[in-house]
Amino acid sequence: MGDLNETKKKRGIGHLDSPKMPFDYFKREYGTVPRDTKRAPFQWVSEVAYKNVHRIVSRGYDTTELMEEGYGVVDVLFVDYQSRIPLIEEEQMLNYVMILALEDGLSAPAAMSRIVARTKTFLTQAAAASILAFGHAYGAYSAFGNRLERYLKRADTQKMSLADAAARLVQENAKEYESLGVSGLMLKDPAAKRMIARAEKLGVSGKYIAFMKEIVQAAQKQSPEPVDIDMLGATGAVMMDLGFSAEATWAILAVTRALAAGAHYIEEIERHPYMRLGEALTPKADYDGPADRPVPALKDRAKVARSGVCKTVEEWSQAREERKKLVGSGYAIVEEIEDPSKKSGIKKVGKL
Amino acid sequence: MNREPVFKRKTAISYKTEEKTVVRGYDLSELAEEGYSFCDALFVLYQGRIPTEAEEKMLKYEMGVFLEHSMSPSAVAAIGVSAGRPNLPCAIAAAVSTFGGVHGPGAAHGYMLNKYLERAHRDGKTPEEMAKVLVDEYMDAEKPVMGMGQPQHVDSDPRAEPIHVKQEDLELEGVYLRFQRALEQHFHERRKREGRSRVGVNVVGSGNTALMEIGFSPMAGWCLGSVCRGWSCAAHALFNMKKGRAWGASRNEPMVQMIDLSMIKYVGPEDRVVPKQAERQEYARKQKEEGEYKKWAI
Repeated sequence: MGDLNETKKKRGIGHLDSPKMPFDYFKREYGTVPRDTKRAPFQWVSEVAYKNVHRIVSRGYDTTELMEEGYGVVDVLFVDYQSRIPLIEEEQMLNYVMILALEDGLSAPAAMSRIVARTKTFLTQAAAASILAFGHAYGAYSAFGNRLERYLKRADTQKMSLADAAARLVQENAKEYESLGVSGLMLKDPAAKRMIARAEKLGVSGKYIAFMKEIVQAAQKQSPEPVDIDMLGATGAVMMDLGFSAEATWAILAVTRALAAGAHYIEEIERHPYMRLGEALTPKADYDGPADRPVPALKDRAKVARSGVCKTVEEWSQAREERKKLVGSGYAIVEEIEDPSKKSGIKKVGKL
Repeated sequence: MNREPVFKRKTAISYKTEEKTVVRGYDLSELAEEGYSFCDALFVLYQGRIPTEAEEKMLKYEMGVFLEHSMSPSAVAAIGVSAGRPNLPCAIAAAVSTFGGVHGPGAAHGYMLNKYLERAHRDGKTPEEMAKVLVDEYMDAEKPVMGMGQPQHVDSDPRAEPIHVKQEDLELEGVYLRFQRALEQHFHERRKREGRSRVGVNVVGSGNTALMEIGFSPMAGWCLGSVCRGWSCAAHALFNMKKGRAWGASRNEPMVQMIDLSMIKYVGPEDRVVPKQAERQEYARKQKEEGEYKKWAI
């Protein structure tokens, strides 16, 4: 492809021959990268499951044989996520948790499923959309569970009592109220407390439930409002005592809810017509943005346009504050997106 | 605290107050307290009834055997999405979204059975007679018969026949199993007559038959199957997120990664010069007239 590069160099391409370029663009090769024969070829590496023509095997157990031996769908969750057969009581407890997680009325996942349904899609798209509604507030199992782990570790390494660790957790995470597991949401509904009681009755409660109870007490002391354990606190703590990681809990309960999102998809289609492009209106009464204004003539652009470029930090700071006032611009939101990558990789496999 | 519903709708599925969550009239917490299983709750949700013990066992079996399938389009999607390290639900949603017209087409199989059973009812035919009509009509039209054949389990899907047998053992044989068994028999006979290899029933053919037999609609059955796969796909995504390398392209791994540059095989148009704007109109006109581009258009 040297000729093609030469032709292109003679013709020139925009700014690609600029001396500011840290490389010679016209010496860059064409064509795909040859196969790497020094390393093992790519394979789908899994610790979870494999299959061949005749079998599907999860963590060493043939899944058909599991069913034939009388295990069921809930047992397979223990096999897939924890590589073990659960105790009968653990299986009973997970059934209990999943029943409670199945339906939550017209909350975000059901609404997502129904909105997607109205655009005329497959059911699977709507169910998948409901899973996307399990963010760090509605489905805060990851934030909740990992925090429990962190503070339990602190209690251990700093020789702190569970009560002290719980008090610190509540104090230091008050702003993260949506993932504390304690709130005013379940003051009249006994379901969360019943779940904890069931875990204790079945003998499957452990350090997470014990810690959660301390967190509830600490929150009740620190909060000016009445609070108690909520469904996040109960299901999160129970799931972790059943041995599921915070992330596994998040996944299992999001999918559980999606099984009911399918019913919402069906009902939406049965009871309501599909929604076409341009059909839904947004009443002006709901609008509180800038007042209606004339579009300037294109020839007047230079007169009316204001540059967004800030030349100094001071200018930038002022502009940023001003921009925060425009709702929907995104300036009022500050997030830190963490990279959870594990740098280790899977070194034990793939060597030639 | 705003506790208004996210979406205002009349619904016959559930309601939720400060005191309880009620599905089809049953308080969910009471269902759990009474010792019903999660599968029982799915009957309540989709059918508004408490199932028999045998029906509950059948659902538990079907979902259990369907949950994990190692590397299928759904698991591959979950792993692919997880490579960018988004929130975990994105990987699960992608996995569930792969269930369409080919991967786990439970609803399509159910609609096919219902359509021909309706014809049997209308024309006064037995399920066995109508199953033969179905097989002949599909095969004459060279359309795949839903529920038959699996691209990986070419020598009979390891889940499929055991599901049929389980359904019979639980004495849950009804019109659907009768129809499906007859369909399979005619399908095998016809392929044999035509000198073609045996293609076994797949997990949709047998699993969906069982689900419909125990009262689930084609759509509900599809949901149960495809969504429950999300559990295992999440496990595959988590394994890769916790133990694998992000991006899937590192050159430091001993094994070539999923999207290593060397994995790309390009079979498109040859490398070419980008026309300058001054040349554009003439270039584009010529390109359109010559029509070579149509070979590549998708």
